Amino acid sequence: MRMHIPDGFLDAKTAIASGVFSAAGLGTALRHTRRHLHSREIPLIGLTAAFIFVAQMLNFPVAGGTSGHLIGATLAVVLLGPSVAVIVMSSVLIIQALIFADVGLFELGANIFNMALVAPLCSFIVYRIIRKIFQDNRGQLFAASVASWCATIIAAVVCAGELVWSGTAQWNVVFPAMVGIHAFIGIGEALITMLVLAAIGNTRPELLEDKSRSNSGKEQKAVLLYGILIILGLLIFVVPFASKLPDGLERVAKTFGFENKAIENQSFSAPLKNYRFYGFELSETSSILAGIIGAGSVFVFLFVLSRVIVPKSKNGMNSKTPPL
Amino acid sequence: MDHSMRHDFLDRFSRLDSPIHRLPSALKLSFAFALILLVILVPIHVWWVSGILIVLLLIFFVSSKIPWRFVAARLLFLEPFVLGVAVMALFQHDGLTIFLRIVIKSSLCLLTMILLSNTTPFTEILSFIRRIGIPALLVTILALTYRYLFVLIDEAARFRRARNSRTFSSHRTKVWMSLASIIGQLFIRSTERSERIYSAMISRGWK
Amino acid sequence: MEMIPAVQVTNLYFNYPDGKEALQGVSFSVAQGECIGLVGSNGSGKSTLLLHLNGILPDSFDGDSQIAINGRFISDETVNTIRREVGLLFQDPDDQLFCPTVFEDVAFGPRQFGLPEEQVRFSVERSLAQTGLAGFNDRLPYHLSSGEKRRACLAGILACEPLVLALDEPTSNLDPRGKRNLHQILKSLPVTKIIATHDLEMVVELCTRTIILDKGKIVADGPTIELLGNEELMLEHGLEKPHILRHHHPH
Repeated sequence: MRMHIPDGFLDAKTAIASGVFSAAGLGTALRHTRRHLHSREIPLIGLTAAFIFVAQMLNFPVAGGTSGHLIGATLAVVLLGPSVAVIVMSSVLIIQALIFADVGLFELGANIFNMALVAPLCSFIVYRIIRKIFQDNRGQLFAASVASWCATIIAAVVCAGELVWSGTAQWNVVFPAMVGIHAFIGIGEALITMLVLAAIGNTRPELLEDKSRSNSGKEQKAVLLYGILIILGLLIFVVPFASKLPDGLERVAKTFGFENKAIENQSFSAPLKNYRFYGFELSETSSILAGIIGAGSVFVFLFVLSRVIVPKSKNGMNSKTPPL
Repeated sequence: MDHSMRHDFLDRFSRLDSPIHRLPSALKLSFAFALILLVILVPIHVWWVSGILIVLLLIFFVSSKIPWRFVAARLLFLEPFVLGVAVMALFQHDGLTIFLRIVIKSSLCLLTMILLSNTTPFTEILSFIRRIGIPALLVTILALTYRYLFVLIDEAARFRRARNSRTFSSHRTKVWMSLASIIGQLFIRSTERSERIYSAMISRGWK
Repeated sequence: MEMIPAVQVTNLYFNYPDGKEALQGVSFSVAQGECIGLVGSNGSGKSTLLLHLNGILPDSFDGDSQIAINGRFISDETVNTIRREVGLLFQDPDDQLFCPTVFEDVAFGPRQFGLPEEQVRFSVERSLAQTGLAGFNDRLPYHLSSGEKRRACLAGILACEPLVLALDEPTSNLDPRGKRNLHQILKSLPVTKIIATHDLEMVVELCTRTIILDKGKIVADGPTIELLGNEELMLEHGLEKPHILRHHHPH
């Protein structure tokens, strides 16, 4: 299961709306880079995009014959900062759309929005928050892994919203499916991100220095804009389905012709929504509870792993991890 | 690594000689995009439109001289992803119709893109998007990404071979750590290489 | 009539931030049209020296520059012109061939230096012909052999019409035929050449004068055959007397 949306799944308005957001986000990232980054970073951005592309190709065996793959948005953010990550992930998707056809061209806007805007930015925010608490090397691994898990899920939720808004699927099917599946995929992403950062820290720890900190002032404006775009996206693609649409907003939607068979199909009259989860129904509260417990377990697991993976050393430099 | 994808990287067919290949890229790109738009926007029960589009695609495919085996393989490789996402459409009122509609439309779009990317060299695609107003910085980055994609794939393959000759365990944990290490190495080499590329660029006048 | 030396290096010192590969007071000059071999063991400073010749190192020019190209010192104002006048060939052609096609890459220099597109096209065709790569316009660098890549890089530099060529290991990774090919091409170019290399056969064949570098210092500067034929001197600085001179008797 991947988040790359092929052509034909989204309708015109979804593709256009997400396209506009992506263009704005990518444009901001490009402008920031042009203004504030030295030209020597540009080959690095190109090579990193190629690097992420190649990293995404590698098969991480899971169970039976299945395998997982890295998406890399968080890796890009931790290594190069949010704006560069936006450009890097967008470039990967554009190349995939134009040459390999495994990303839809028409739906490129939505794909860029999900994986090149939402994912990196959510990573960035979660990462920075956790970093403020855990400031050491191992804290960086923990922060990055949690950030990638969260970002994977949030991006999947936005993707679900886009599918529903297009009338392709129903919220109470696609939302739990996407969240459930990506809660698992996200763990893989978190693990791989942690392992890769540990591997890099082993040989070249200076590459892991927080780039975002040094550029903080100038990048803040850009980050703010990405945040606004994402909030707008969430408002349009997710919020209407996740909760009862306020009457005013619904009227606005109807005026602009955005009324959607899918929206009307959701039953808002029931006080609690029931989610169909793998064949049995869960009430909303129990879903939320399950979610919290699940998330908590993931955080604990990742925390423990981050402590184990890099043995503590006094002088702050990462000593060698077990031989790989 | 997924070997069925490797062949595509050779950009093997984009410089064949056929009536389609010889068409100007701007025409091909605009046409492909228009085709995709039509496929997506026209409701599928307007059968005659869908029919014409399919026939057109087949004509282009045949006159492009791309080996049908290649196109079929590519389509088969990508189809599961379409099906995987489309499966979710089944669980609703009218689900089967929606599912079929999506699968057919998606496959047509796939075919269009496969044809396009294999009859148009990537450099021409890049100059086209530059001409329609995509920022130069992005085009430069895309060009660099494309150029070094093949180089990095080779590097990753080399690291992998080196590791495989030293590792005897196929245990999942070891494989994950090994792959992560390869990815880490790849990144480090990429940063080093980008420094040298920068030097090469400025030594020929880039600013 | 006194000729301005093509390259004049005076007392050049350089240290990398991590202390690696330094240059410790290097001085020499190269006359117009001369071909000099720059030899030394790994880490002797050859590449570092070459990177100085068209202003890639140091990172910033302040104070007295120790390098003059055609009489002009390298500075922030002159560095752009000098980059056109000194063509630098890098060790790894994959680093230097950074454009999607051969044509794009060879055209890069002329375009950066502001030539009109028609002139660019002409320069590219001419350089490709000079390096035996006519018709390679649309080829992807990925598909080229090592020798072809090397020659494409050379074409890219020649398209800028440089006055000095600074080459870093031009024949590394080439098979004997590739090497011979490159020797021929280099021989046919009348420009001033500085060739840093381990390929001592080529130095004997192409370069009348040789400079031996060891740990960032020039330890010898003189006629090629005399220097390279001096077994003791060579061994002392981590080199070996080339086969071609093993039975050579100076005339």
